[in-house]
Amino acid sequence: MSDSEITRRQLLVGGALVGAACVTGAAALHDGALGAPPRTIKGAVPWREGTADVPPMVQGTAYRFFTAGEQAFIEPAIDRLIPPDETGPSASQANVHVFLDHQLAGAFGRGDHFYLGGPWPKGTPEQGYQSRLSPAQLYRTAIPAVEAYVRDQHAGKTFKELGAAEQDVVLRALESGEAKLSGADGKSFFDMFLQNVLEGYFSDPIYGGNKDMAAWKMIGFPGAHYDYREWVSRHGERVPYLTVGIKGRPGWSQG
Amino acid sequence: MARKVEIALGVGLIVALGVVGVEFLLLGDRAVAYTPMSATTLSVRALTQPIPDSVPNAQQVKLGQYLVRVGDCASCHTREGGAFLAGGLALSTPFGTIYSTNLTSDRHTGVGDWTPDEFYAALHEGAQVHGGALYPAMPYPYTTRVARADADAILAFLKTVAPVNERRSTNELTFPFSIRALVHGWNLLFFRPGEFKPDPGKTAAWNRGAYLVTGLGHCGACHTPKNSLAADRPSESLQGGTLDNWVAPDLTANTRTGLGSWSSDDIVEYLRTGRNARANAGGSMAEVVSYSTSLLTDADLHAIATYLKEQPARPDVKPNDPDAVAMQRGAAVFSDACTACHMEEGAGQVRIFPPLRADAVSQQPDPTGVLHIILAGDRTASTTTRPTPLSMPSFAWKLTDEQIADVATYARNSWGNRAQPVNAKQVSDMRSNLALTDH
Repeated sequence: MSDSEITRRQLLVGGALVGAACVTGAAALHDGALGAPPRTIKGAVPWREGTADVPPMVQGTAYRFFTAGEQAFIEPAIDRLIPPDETGPSASQANVHVFLDHQLAGAFGRGDHFYLGGPWPKGTPEQGYQSRLSPAQLYRTAIPAVEAYVRDQHAGKTFKELGAAEQDVVLRALESGEAKLSGADGKSFFDMFLQNVLEGYFSDPIYGGNKDMAAWKMIGFPGAHYDYREWVSRHGERVPYLTVGIKGRPGWSQG
Repeated sequence: MARKVEIALGVGLIVALGVVGVEFLLLGDRAVAYTPMSATTLSVRALTQPIPDSVPNAQQVKLGQYLVRVGDCASCHTREGGAFLAGGLALSTPFGTIYSTNLTSDRHTGVGDWTPDEFYAALHEGAQVHGGALYPAMPYPYTTRVARADADAILAFLKTVAPVNERRSTNELTFPFSIRALVHGWNLLFFRPGEFKPDPGKTAAWNRGAYLVTGLGHCGACHTPKNSLAADRPSESLQGGTLDNWVAPDLTANTRTGLGSWSSDDIVEYLRTGRNARANAGGSMAEVVSYSTSLLTDADLHAIATYLKEQPARPDVKPNDPDAVAMQRGAAVFSDACTACHMEEGAGQVRIFPPLRADAVSQQPDPTGVLHIILAGDRTASTTTRPTPLSMPSFAWKLTDEQIADVATYARNSWGNRAQPVNAKQVSDMRSNLALTDH
């Protein structure tokens, strides 16, 4: 859909969602976080004993954002984008759904990093995401619209009930823009969804996805090392660093 | 640094009264609240502002200003956000809070009305102008060594400090620690008044150094181990102390834990700039460097170095061997979490990030300092020569108690370092002492 076609109901639902998210999310902001107010620093760099710029960490795998109906779409859909194979785990095996859920429940979902005011003319592809919807609103409105499209195309079945090949057809139709959804822009949704799935698969495990750093190990990325300056001039040697996340690796606790 | 002494002495005083047992002392550090480092700019400006020759006793006032730097009076007698030397800094002890006194020239709340005799009595005997003993939070066991002429000069300078009418808050000590008269008991046991007597067999530089270190500079207040009643152990002078969840390292000639492998120039550079090729001044010492040692003359810094270089080495205590698997885990944490600044092999980046190889703080028998720094972070002193206060963040959120114990054990026993291994219980105790949570 074009953004000018958004319905009054969607706006109201979305507005309520943003309000609720602000109430729960405000306390979690830290310096440099999306939505944190800017500060002017004078004199010495501020420092306080016992403090650090601690990234927001996902605790547990319980859903905070997706409804049961949304989960029934998200879980199979992410595994069509990144299926399991001999090189590495599937998206759901890497807990990408946990990543998506927590991101959408927080600052990213609220669109704290987007300008969401008007006007809303249709942008060019080069201009990226152009919508009055925050990411959380986009997911919330698009998933039921995709399910409605699937029911329409596949005799009342849900996305989850389709075979893998049929699911791929649906996703391709969203990607190309061929799938015309009622009340949502399928292509905008697919683009953001694919982007977010990739982010979840390759982000540090503290954000919920990339379980056991499996995606990093798959591509040989050693992870959150500060720098490699001591290795720059050591040509031909294998850097001995093992894959490590912000909160460590098994070797920190096991001999 | 004096602030930490005050706490230890306060604790010692109370225990000396025989009112409570030694176990309170052991609990002591745990209850000490963290006090943020006060902004240095204000005090440094007041401590270095030129005294015009038109002042009637200009020479004496200049000397007094200099001696206030030597004594690091500003660290305790200026509170965060308060006026220079107006006192009011809360010194938290397990038994309550002691507030530092107002040293400005205010006639009602400061020293404006004090006579030189009264001021000398305070420094020399720990006696208060309006009767009663000072709590040994004031390091009078050290300032007793100050010469009369120097005491007079300090008061002359204080009388030029802009008056601030600020009555200090009443000490909030719980009964019976609130009974001031009982300080006399502690004094009888541990306090030996007497001005410094030079040793004619030593050089002038050594004697000047001894006068500064054992007198107004009160280095031993933190760096000398305390007995069970929190008074100095004279036979272990400057061998390193533990207080307020910090270690004041060994300053003797021990090559591993002390200054044995430092040259005199290393000591002078450290005191002048807050950094040298071996270490950065952090913790409470950062304030000492900012308010005091960085503002002293080269001659005095060399004198201090001369005296310190002649302290007999603290005897070595053979540490236990570290567990090989703990060392392996510690190496993993070190490689991933520490090498960004402290580099492979603990080489550090000299005068920026302190080396850990052959580092004295890392190898103190008591791991308190190392654990404090890993858990809470640390910041180096800001000085005129090296104004940028580099800092290390807290790792309390990132590392578990076991991981911190392992990495501390590893750093204390790698690259030639050797010190007692650390266990997770010690880390968890320190974590709760510092009121830091796990994530």
